[in-house]
This record gives sequence, C-alpha cells and structure tokens, in this order.
Amino acid sequence: MRIVNETTNARIRKIVVYAVYIILLTSLQVSFPDTFSLFGQTADITFVFVVLSGYFNGFWDGAIVGFVCGMIRDVFSPPAVLGLDGEVRVTAFIGVFTLFAAGILGASFFTKRMHRNIPFSIVAVIFATFCYKVAGYLVIFGWSSMAGTTSTIYEPFTALVYSFLPQLLLNTLAAIPLIFFLRFLGPVSFRGRSKKDEIIEKQGEGTWLGI
Amino acid sequence: MKKLLKSKWFIALIVLLVLAAFAILSLLPGSPIKNLLKPVQLVTTPAQSLVKSAGDTITDFWSAITDGIAIREENKALKEQIADLRYQLTQSEEAALRYEELKDALHIKDTFSNYVIYGASILSRESDEWFSTIRLNAGAADGIALSEGNSYPVLDVEMNLVGRVIETSDTESRVLPLLHEGFAVAGKVNEVNGVTFMVVGDAELKRQGLCLAKDIDPDVHLEPGMEIVTSGDGGLFPEGIPIGVIETVDYSNPLEVTATIRPYSQIGKLEDVFIMIPYVEETEETDVTVPGV
Repeated sequence: MRIVNETTNARIRKIVVYAVYIILLTSLQVSFPDTFSLFGQTADITFVFVVLSGYFNGFWDGAIVGFVCGMIRDVFSPPAVLGLDGEVRVTAFIGVFTLFAAGILGASFFTKRMHRNIPFSIVAVIFATFCYKVAGYLVIFGWSSMAGTTSTIYEPFTALVYSFLPQLLLNTLAAIPLIFFLRFLGPVSFRGRSKKDEIIEKQGEGTWLGI
Repeated sequence: MKKLLKSKWFIALIVLLVLAAFAILSLLPGSPIKNLLKPVQLVTTPAQSLVKSAGDTITDFWSAITDGIAIREENKALKEQIADLRYQLTQSEEAALRYEELKDALHIKDTFSNYVIYGASILSRESDEWFSTIRLNAGAADGIALSEGNSYPVLDVEMNLVGRVIETSDTESRVLPLLHEGFAVAGKVNEVNGVTFMVVGDAELKRQGLCLAKDIDPDVHLEPGMEIVTSGDGGLFPEGIPIGVIETVDYSNPLEVTATIRPYSQIGKLEDVFIMIPYVEETEETDVTVPGV
C-alpha cells in the first residue's frame, strides 16, 4: 500500500514540476530573449532544460519533455523556411523534432558510465549544443542547395567564432541554474538515495509507462 | 519482431521519421498539418501571456526603483517642454487648417491613404538563431486575413519597417522580421528618382543588426548615412516606408556592389506594431434583369 502511494506521489510530483518548468522556461525564452543574449546569440534555456532532463532523469523523460517543449516552441516561434516554390513559409514540427532528439541525446550521453554525475552534465549540454549547431548548418546548407537558392549561412570560421562559441558559452551558463533546479527542486527526488539508476527505474523512466 | 517493437530506440526512430515527414509536409501551401498544434496553442498562449505580464511587472517595478532620480529630473524637463509645446500647438492648429485647405485644393494624397492600419502587440519573439518568427495578437478575426502568396507590411510606432506578415490564424499572425534571411523588399534612396535595389536579410549581418542591399547599379554613387525607404516595386509594400540608413558600401567588385543597412526599427525593444492592409473599396453588385426573359 505504501509503495503504491509513493509511486502515485512521485507521478504527481513529476507531472506538476515538469509542467511548471516547461511553461515557465518556454515562455521566458520567447518573452524576454534579450535577457539571455550575447554577441547576437540567445541562450537556449529550453534546449538546455530538455538535455538535462534526459541526462538526469532518463530516456523517456528526455523524450517526453523534449516532445512537449518542441510543440510549444513550434507554436511560439516556429522557423520560417524558404519553400521549394521560392515562398517563405512558417514550418511546423521542426521544434518537436529538434527537442525530442535533444532529449534522447542527453539521456544517452555516457549517463550510465558517468553515473549521471553533475559536472559531466555540463559536458552533455556542450556536446548536445555542438551537435545541434552542426546539424542546423548542414540542414540549412542541404535545403538551400535543394531549393536552388543562394545560401546565406556563415563561412566555417565565422560560424565558429560568432555562432558556435557564443552559443556554447551561453548554454553552459544557462545550464548551471538549471542543473540546480533539476537536481534539488526537480521532478524526481534523489534525496537519501544512492543508486541513481535505480531511482530512475522506479521514479523516472518506468513512471511514464504507468501514466 | 516483438522485441524490436518494444525497443525504445526503435520507437524513437519511428517518431523522428514521422516528425521529419510532418515538418516537410508543413511546407506545402495550405498544409493542414499545422492544425495539429492548435490545441497546444490554446493551452499555452494564456500561460505565456501570464508569464510575460508577470515579467513586465517585475521589470517595471525594478525600473521604478532604479530610475527614480532620473524620472524626477525628466519630469521637470517634460513640464517645461509641455508648456513650450502648448504654445506651438496653438500655432500649429492654424497651420493645419491651412494645410487641409491646400491639400483639397491641390489633391495631395496622404502617403498611405489606401491602407487600413491595424494595431497589434508582440506576443513572442524569436527564441534562437533559427526559430525566428515573431507572433502578434491579431489574426483573421481582427480583419487580418492572408491569402496564399500575399503578405502585409508590419511597421513600428514611428512607421519604420519591421517585417511582413507571412501567416495568420484566427487570433494570431506570424511576422517574418526584416533581418531574417528569407526577407526581401525593393528599396531605394529616399530622394526624387532615387536608385532602386533589393534589401534582403543576411545570416552573417543579422548578428550585427544589419541587413544587405544588393543588385545595386555600379554607376550609382551611394554613401553611408543615406536614408533607404521602400520603392513600391513588387506591389506588396507601398512606396516610402522608412527602412534604415546605409552604414557601409562595398564597391570592390563592380559586378556586385553591396551595402549594409542599419534598420531604424529595433525589433528587440518593440512591444506594439502596426499592420498595413491595402484598402479595397467594396463595389455594390447590381443584378441586371433583362425584360421579357
């Protein structure tokens, strides 16, 4: 009976805490982007949150949080892309795709080997940001070539200095408070437990399957 | 097979493939795929407005504390300015009456008299380098209906160009900002018979808050400080909307003269904007009946 109550409480806590964080972070991201900006880049707090959710709380947490955050991003600020007919169009589901993949990437980045330790979560954020940037530029370049338009993306060196480095720095800085929130005020309680992957099995990944 | 279907990696792969297909399908004209996100919009928009207004309140409160002394001095200066302006107003009223008389007499048209102007507030801004459209709180229900291949200019409170509306829903519109790589407008130097060229967004210049002027006639002399306005070519934008000023001109390649333009509008600081919609006079359709038929 006690075990049942514990699991139910864990589920409720998880849903409520995630809902609050998701609404708050996605709204802050698009309402006050200048607050998180440097050198023309904006700290992607939603992206960092998704990667860290996957890293600390497991595969399904990363995937589901990424999916939900991605849908909200597609509603709030979807990318506009030059279509094959030459018209610029607002897209849908690119945000979901990006953040869903980011959540999975965060959850699989040496999480078991590194025992989901806090310092290594920064490395996970840096790696995921780097992958996001590289993939973004490759997709833009590929799409521009396919659409037959002149691509206006950065030269590799300019991209490194003015896009990659500021974004990596900003996302790393954004990760510090988010790590604190996820570990100590997060959806999964780690208090008084030692084997983190067991906690994730009980309160993390397994919980979603029961919802 | 059963094992494969239960594998989280297989599920993730299928989801990613479906999402990629949806993303590509959403680029088709009139694609219904975007409607799948409508329920999310209904739930999240009020929540985001709440967070935004809470953030604005905190910012305003903080400003009230930090700007207290500056506000007092500004208030004193403004009071003096008001007295000055009252005097000027009485003078201007007479001039305005004379202008109206002359305008009627000479049939001078107001620059944008053929446009209906709608006010809207910015709901959300670009979230990063690529997720970069702006959302406004006015849509088809407010009279901003957009047909395929059409677009409306968006201006700031000082009537400077901000971008163009590229999509509308019942309650919201999405704007492609002036600095976006996909943005293009015909511009010209703000003078009689000013030379025309294309003003486009550019990824590298965007981070500096600049846009690019290209297709410039190499025989034409441009210099920093010249004001650029829309030329009216293409039909989407009326002539004479201020865009910005030329910052640099590059004549190094005579076949490809380019210039950088610093736009007047500071999108990051905007709260309210105006959408210009061409005014269409409604013509009454009369039934013609032929006697004896």
